[in-house]
Amino acid sequence: MSYRFTVSPHLCTGCRTCELACSFMHAVEGKRGATRIHPLETGFKELWVPVVCLQCDDAACVKSCLVDALKRNPETGTIDLDREVCVRCMACVAACPFGCSLLDDQHNLVVKCDLCGGDPACAHFCPTHALEWKPIETVKRKQAV
Amino acid sequence: MVSLTINGRIVKAKDGEMLLAVLRREKIDVPAMCHHAAVEPFGACRLCVVEITRAEWKGWCDYVTSCLYPVSPGLIVNTHSDKVNELRRTILDLFLARHPDCPEIAELAGEYGVFKTTYETVVGGNNCILCGLCTRICDRMGFTAISTVGRGHGKEVAPPLRQAPPDCVGCLACAENCPTKFIEYKLRKKRVTIWEREFELLTCTKCGKTTITKDFAEYLSRHRAIDAGYFEICDECRRKNLAVSMGEIVNWERELLT
Ligand code: SF4
Ligand code: SF4
Ligand code: FES
Repeated sequence: MSYRFTVSPHLCTGCRTCELACSFMHAVEGKRGATRIHPLETGFKELWVPVVCLQCDDAACVKSCLVDALKRNPETGTIDLDREVCVRCMACVAACPFGCSLLDDQHNLVVKCDLCGGDPACAHFCPTHALEWKPIETVKRKQAV
Repeated sequence: MVSLTINGRIVKAKDGEMLLAVLRREKIDVPAMCHHAAVEPFGACRLCVVEITRAEWKGWCDYVTSCLYPVSPGLIVNTHSDKVNELRRTILDLFLARHPDCPEIAELAGEYGVFKTTYETVVGGNNCILCGLCTRICDRMGFTAISTVGRGHGKEVAPPLRQAPPDCVGCLACAENCPTKFIEYKLRKKRVTIWEREFELLTCTKCGKTTITKDFAEYLSRHRAIDAGYFEICDECRRKNLAVSMGEIVNWERELLT
């Protein structure tokens, strides 16, 4: 069955559980990694938007990478950053229009959302279902990210 | 797919894949200073040496640099036999003599039990092991701003004519990936200097944080069709901007519904 990751900002309470799930999920040598998802304030009352990579079709990060470290993963549909190939030039960090390719300065690694290889931890931990990982048939068109 | 034996264990790999890539995937730790997956293997540091043999070799074996050795069916590999460790110790011993003040080499040598060189220490040297990783990465990125110049004792990495390199964009990938951190650069507020060339760093128009160099951003806009406007704001402020603009839409919908 094919799954989709959905983000429904109106349900987000800004609790930041997803950040924790993400950084534990992407730990490096037992130390927490930088979170790839950021529930941020919008300036509107009780409204947060979990900002996370949109896995763009014509992605700026892919175009900016001069060593082809960023590639579409045919299995998950995500754009994955190959840590071994990346030379940490910061081009993609500077190029992503949404700031979703970022530096994990604790580990000196450039990182981005990979949907945890196809089963995003944030969606499992989100208490309000603002983030969901669900079968594609149950996703309303407008919701799909 | 081919099958080979590594340290007594049967392992599957793609035919023709380099042995070091297989070792890495199998989480077998072999030192490799001049290796980087972004570039072609080069075989400069020799530290990734392993012992190979085959059933039909009747007990004979060979010692090869795993970064440059394509796997084939029936290969039998030993990554830490006494002989291999001895070879690595000799290489590290030589490295220690040439680069007595290099912490990265001292650490690796220590792991192999080499704490003092048995050769004569070279005076007045530096920490560059001449592995060419910096120049290969610079080539791979399409700049070719630096290369090795000279031969023998005089060989070194430098820009053309040892002058500030016109093709450098200040991406710092050479310094960032140098295995001995030999390549220096100076960050000063809104400027960075590398290879004796000074670059202006872009600063976020919202928060003032510095990002990549102006030259690098211009290169990316020109050659990779990245909207120059993307570079005006740092990644953190762009996330905030996205939250605000998405918030506007969600809020509008929310108000419509209530
Ligand atoms: S990192 Fe940025 S540019 Fe790349 S796919 Fe994600 S949102 Fe798009
Ligand atoms: S930081 Fe890494 S992934 Fe990003 S553009 Fe540079 S080499 Fe590619
Ligand atoms: S990594 Fe193989 S020779 Fe340096």
